[in-house]
Amino acid sequence: MRRLTSVFGGAAEPPKGGNPDSNTLISDMTTVICLDDYHSLDRTGRKEKGVTALDPRANDFDLMYEQVKALKSGIAVDKPIYNHVSGLLDPPELIKPPKILVIEGLHPMFDERVRDLLDFSIYLDISNEVKFAWKIQRDMAERGHSLESIKASIEARKPDFDAFIDPQKQYADAVIEVLPTQLIPDDNEGKVLRVRLIMKEGVEHFSPVYLFDEGSTVSWIPCGRKLTCSYPGIKFSYGPDTYFGHEVSVLEMDGQFDRLDELIYVESHLSNLSTKFYGEVTQQMLKHADFPGSNNGTGLFQTIVGLKIRDLYEQITASKTAAPLQATKA
Amino acid sequence: MQVRAAPDSLSEKVEQSIKEAQEACSDDPASGECVAAWDEVEELSAAASHARDRLKDNDPLENYCKDNPETDECKTYDN
Repeated sequence: MRRLTSVFGGAAEPPKGGNPDSNTLISDMTTVICLDDYHSLDRTGRKEKGVTALDPRANDFDLMYEQVKALKSGIAVDKPIYNHVSGLLDPPELIKPPKILVIEGLHPMFDERVRDLLDFSIYLDISNEVKFAWKIQRDMAERGHSLESIKASIEARKPDFDAFIDPQKQYADAVIEVLPTQLIPDDNEGKVLRVRLIMKEGVEHFSPVYLFDEGSTVSWIPCGRKLTCSYPGIKFSYGPDTYFGHEVSVLEMDGQFDRLDELIYVESHLSNLSTKFYGEVTQQMLKHADFPGSNNGTGLFQTIVGLKIRDLYEQITASKTAAPLQATKA
Repeated sequence: MQVRAAPDSLSEKVEQSIKEAQEACSDDPASGECVAAWDEVEELSAAASHARDRLKDNDPLENYCKDNPETDECKTYDN
């Protein structure tokens, strides 16, 4: 989320002077709302009913729809706060309509009415092996956790995840799929990643990124005579495909960057990036070199998606200001 | 002024929730109680991880300089 909001300038921060456990992030151009704020059941309520947060029964989709619709039409709302520390629903905070509203969470595309309000949608699809590796990295430092408890938690939640969360990916305009690398045989460290940016064709205001020749199938290893890479290197591929019955274009990166010159070299060979100047992708990646994924496809594709959203935003606002002008001419 | 929960108590909550999940699941691993209990473990683990990240971000000098870049301690000489 930080990479995305950073494309618009400024860091998105929690609202000052409000509830310190607010999940909301605000910057000049963007407001990011965490959809957990629309939980209808708090932690105790879910425990009593024997229901996970992934279950639609724990979420108030009517309120979600009402408020997202209001914000989109320029009306401020009093949005509840779900406190992740206490597990309670705290008193609401006032959210003013921003230029760009981002909703993030478990169910952004679950309710059809909310889905129809979205100008663009992204699904982050983490494969099981990578998810397990990331959760191990996250939780092993926590006393009380072990490999078994981490595994048990993932498995207990998997039925609800498969039933309610995963199916949303078919509706997304862009899917970032994160898989284990294919460059290292028998790799079980999960550090090197293979990342696929699956972009729907025919989405208004969205032109997919391509490599070399749009619509063709390309396989590219940039490392060689002009560029030296360290093990395991970098492999790109690009091509058309279908995804849940939709035409898509897929850009894939397997491997890691370890130097600035690799990043700019790759950027110079990609097209339709929606950058405003040569090297903008590299500059954004360097600005946040300390964020996770800065050396692989996750950081690269999240940055590119941010630029695509900026492009979309500018196209939409341009068409909105043009329409009233045409009306007065007649 | 409200204060954020100290990470220590979050760590305790994580530990406690794991024990509770293991108990809830020993009776019936397919029950709603068992599944909801592990979901709580996930929620608390995520919260604990975010709390650890926030601690990392709390360098007093960095925070001071964000708001006062012109002071002697914070000036940078790039040219």
